[in-house]
Amino acid sequence: MTLPLEVTDLSTTLFTRRGEMKAVDGLSLAVDAGETVALVGESGCGKSLSALSIMRLLPDPPARIVGGAVALNGRDLVTLPEEVMLAIRGKEIGMIFQDPMSSLNPVTTVEKQIAEVLMAHGELGRGQARARVHELLELVGMPDAARRLDAYPHQLSGGMCQRVMIAMAIACSPSVLIADEPTTALDVTVQAQVLALLKRLQADAGMAMIFITHDLGVVAETADRVVVMYAGRKVEEASVDALFETPLHPYTVGLIGATPVPGAARADRLADIPGMVPPLNALPQGCAFAPRCARVMERCRHERPALTRPAPDRLVACFAVEQG
Amino acid sequence: MARIEIPRFEFVARFARNRGALVGAVLIFLVALTAVLAPVLFPTDPLRIVGAPELWPGEDPDFPLGTDSLGRDILSMIVHGARATLLIGLCASAVATLIGVTIGAIAGYFGGWVDEIVMRTAELFQTIPNLIFVLTIVVILGSTLANIVIAIGIVSWTSIARMTRAEFLALRDREFVQACRAMGMGNGGIILGEILPNALPPVIVLSSLVVAGAILFESAVSFLGLGDPNVASWGRLVGDGRQLIRSSWYICAIPGVAIMVTVLCLNLIGDGLNDALNPKLRDR
Amino acid sequence: MAAVAAGSRGRAALRLLRRRLIQAVPLMLGVVVINFCLIQLAPGSFLDLMTAENQVSDPATIELLRKTYGLDDPVWLQLVKYIWALMQFDFGFSYRQNMPVIQAISVHLPATLLLMVSSITLALAVGVAAGVVASVKVRTVWDSLVSIAAMFFFAAPSFWLGIMLIVLFSVKLGWLPVGGMATIGGVGGGVAGVLDILHHLILPTLALGLFYAAIYARVMRSSMLEVAQLDFVRTARAKGLSRNRVTVSHVLRNALLPVVTILGVQMGTVLAGSVVIESVFSWPGIGSLLFDSVSSRNYPVVLGIMVLGSLVVIAANIAVDLVYMWLDPRIEIR
Repeated sequence: MTLPLEVTDLSTTLFTRRGEMKAVDGLSLAVDAGETVALVGESGCGKSLSALSIMRLLPDPPARIVGGAVALNGRDLVTLPEEVMLAIRGKEIGMIFQDPMSSLNPVTTVEKQIAEVLMAHGELGRGQARARVHELLELVGMPDAARRLDAYPHQLSGGMCQRVMIAMAIACSPSVLIADEPTTALDVTVQAQVLALLKRLQADAGMAMIFITHDLGVVAETADRVVVMYAGRKVEEASVDALFETPLHPYTVGLIGATPVPGAARADRLADIPGMVPPLNALPQGCAFAPRCARVMERCRHERPALTRPAPDRLVACFAVEQG
Repeated sequence: MARIEIPRFEFVARFARNRGALVGAVLIFLVALTAVLAPVLFPTDPLRIVGAPELWPGEDPDFPLGTDSLGRDILSMIVHGARATLLIGLCASAVATLIGVTIGAIAGYFGGWVDEIVMRTAELFQTIPNLIFVLTIVVILGSTLANIVIAIGIVSWTSIARMTRAEFLALRDREFVQACRAMGMGNGGIILGEILPNALPPVIVLSSLVVAGAILFESAVSFLGLGDPNVASWGRLVGDGRQLIRSSWYICAIPGVAIMVTVLCLNLIGDGLNDALNPKLRDR
Repeated sequence: MAAVAAGSRGRAALRLLRRRLIQAVPLMLGVVVINFCLIQLAPGSFLDLMTAENQVSDPATIELLRKTYGLDDPVWLQLVKYIWALMQFDFGFSYRQNMPVIQAISVHLPATLLLMVSSITLALAVGVAAGVVASVKVRTVWDSLVSIAAMFFFAAPSFWLGIMLIVLFSVKLGWLPVGGMATIGGVGGGVAGVLDILHHLILPTLALGLFYAAIYARVMRSSMLEVAQLDFVRTARAKGLSRNRVTVSHVLRNALLPVVTILGVQMGTVLAGSVVIESVFSWPGIGSLLFDSVSSRNYPVVLGIMVLGSLVVIAANIAVDLVYMWLDPRIEIR
C-alpha cells in the first residue's frame, strides 16, 4: 500500500554568493493517513525549508532541490513540471503557515481568499463558492461565520486569521496537510483551540499531517511520531511516547530538558544546550552538533554519524548512543 | 561626541562597486572641472559673435558643437553655462538643506505641537504648485540670481525637513542622547553636537538629489525667460534656440543634453550613496 | 451582507471626505497668507502692484481700488479684507483681459486640467506596466531596459523633451501638430473636434507624463519586488495559483499603494510642470495665462493662479486619498 506522503533522501541546497549551503540534507520521512508526524528542532534547522521543498515552493534562487524524491500518493513531486504542481498544491496537499496575520492578503476579503482555492481547482464556480466558504468557516469554528465572509484580515484576531488559513488549506480536502508552526504566533489559550481544531479535522478526514514546531509541549499533545532535525539532517526519529520516555540523541535530550512544563511560559532559548545552531555555511566537519554536545567524543569531530536503528521503529544518528 | 560609526572604507568600497554611481561621480567631476576652468578653456566672452551663424556641429572644426543663430560658439556657451547651472543648483540645494535641516531638527527634537505646526507647513508648501510659486517669487522680487536661488530653496526644503525629522525622532531617545541630557547638556548642544552628526548621512544623500531637482527648476525658469538676464545658464540656451527648431534643432538639443547628463549623474550618485548607506535594501 | 459592507465603506469614504475638507481650510488660509506676504514683500505699494503695467491712470479707478483693498488700513486689516474678498472668489480685476481675474482663470483652467489628467493617466499606465514587467523579469534585459529608460526620462527636462518631440514628430515626420489645442480654422465640432483635440494632446502629454512614468516605474518595480517577498504571496502560491495569477491578483494591488501615495504628493508638481509644457506647446491653459501675466506683471492674475492652483491640488489630493482608501481597506478614519 502506498502511503499518502513518503519523502526519501530529500536534499535542498541554497546557492548563494557566500557559497553553497545544504539546508536540507538527505531527509527521509513517511506519514500515514490519519497520522501526525512532528518535525522538531530549533529555528534554522531546516524544518520550514523541508516543508517548502515538499510543496516545491522554495524561493529559487537561491534554493533548489538537488536530490531525493517526494512521493505524494505514489507520485514523485520533485520531477513534476510546474503546471502539474499547480493542480496539486492546495488540492492534494495543503499548507498552513506560521504568522496568520501576515499570511493573508490584507486588501482582499476572507471570502475571496478562500473561494480562490475552490475556484482554482475547479471545485466550484463563483456563484456556489460563497455558500461553500460559509460552510468551511463554520467547519473551522469561526465565530459568527456569516458576518466574517466580507471581513478583511485586519478586522480579525490572530486566532480567527489562523482559522481562515486552515479553512483555505482544507478547502479541497487534501490528503496531506503541512502545518508550519501554526500556533507559534498565537496566545496560549488560542493555541489550544487551534490544535484541537486541527486534530478534529484530521481525524474526520483521515489526513496525513506534518506538524512543524520547536515547541515540544505541543508535540506531546499532537504528534504520533517525531522527527528531530538538526542543521538540515534528521538526527532522531521515534514514536512520541518512546521519544519522551527515553530520548537517545543528546540534542533531543537537551530539547526535552529545555521544554518547560506545559502551560508555563515558553523558553525561547534552550538552557540545557549551550551555544547556537551553527550557520549552514560554517558546519563543522564531523557531527554538526559536536560543538554543543555534552557527550562529544574525538570521533564526532571529524566523522559524521549515520542513522542507526537501536530498536525497531526507532532511528538515531549518534556515535555516543551506538557505544551505549 | 557619540557617533554611530559607519566604517568609512567599507562605505567608499560599496559606493565604488556600484558602476553607475562611479560613472556618475566621474562625469560630475569632469563637468565641475570644466565649469571651474571655463575662463581658461574659453577666455573670450561666450556671448561674443565669433563665426558664421547656424553652423552645424562638425561643420567647422573651430566650433565642434556648431554656432547658434547669431554665430556664437555653442561649446563655449555650454562650458560657461555649466558655471551658472552648477552654481545655482548647489546654492539652491544648500539653501533648501539649511532650511530643511533646521526646521526638521526642531520638529523632530521637540515633537508635540511644534512638530504638528512644522508638518502642516511642509504640507502647505507641497500644496502650492512649486514652479508657479518660484515664478511668482521671481517675478515679484525680481529676476536676480539670489532671488532665484532663494525661491528654489523655498520650494525644495520639505523633503529634507521630513527626512531630518524622521532621523531626529529615531535618535532623540537613544541612550547617548539621554546620557547627555542627564549630564545637563542644553537642547542646542544636544541637537547640534550629538544628534545632528548622526542624522546627517541620509540627509546629505537626499540633498544630492535636491541639487538635481534645483538644476531642473533653474533650467525651467531660465527657459521661460525669467532667469537672471546676465547669466547664460543651460536652460536659457534651450529657450534661446527654441525659435530655430525647424532649421537648426541642435541649438536646442545640445544644452538640453548637458542638463540631462548632469541631472542623470547626480541621480546616479544619489542612488549609489543610498545603496552604500543601506546595503540591505540593495541585496534584495 | 456585501451591501452592508459596501455601505460601511461608503460611510467611511464620506467621513474621510469631511475630514479632508476640514483640513483643507487652514491649508488654503496658509496659501492666502503666503500670497499676502509676497504682495507685502514686493517693492512698491500694493496699489502699484495691482495697477502696474495696466496703465490705469484714471483717478476714479485708482480711488476705487484704494477703497476695495483698503490700502489706508493697517496691515492686519488688509489681510482680513483680502481673505474676505477671496472667500467670495473676488480675485480682483484684470485690465489686460478686461474681465475679473476669476473669469480669466476659469477660461483657461479646463485645458490645464485636461493636460494634467491625460499626463497622469499616461504616467500611471506606462509607469505601472513598466514597473510590473521589470519586477516580473527582474535581472533580465527587460529589467535593464526599463531601468535605463526610467533614468533618462527622470533626468530629461520636460520642456526640452517637449521640443525634441516636436522636432521628431512634427517637424521631421509631420505626424503631429506643433502646438495649440485645436486646428486653426477648426475641423467642426462633435467627434471630429474631440479627435482633433486628442491629436493635439499627444505630444504635450508625453512631454509631461514620461517624467512621472519614470518615477512610477521605479517605485512600482521596487514595490512589486518587496510585496512578492511577503508571506501572503507564499500563501497564494500554496493554494495552487500560478505565478502570473498571484502577481495579478495579490501582488499588484498591494504594490500599487506606494505609487498612489506618491501620486498624491506630486499633484502640485504636475500642475506646475504643465505650466512649462503649455508654454512649449502653446497650450491654452493657465500656464500660458500665467506666462503672459508674469511678463506683463499682471499680479492679480499671478496670485489668483497660485490660489486656484493650490485649490486644484487640494481637490486632487482628496481624490487620491479616496482612491487609496478604496485600494486599502486597512485605512480607518478616526
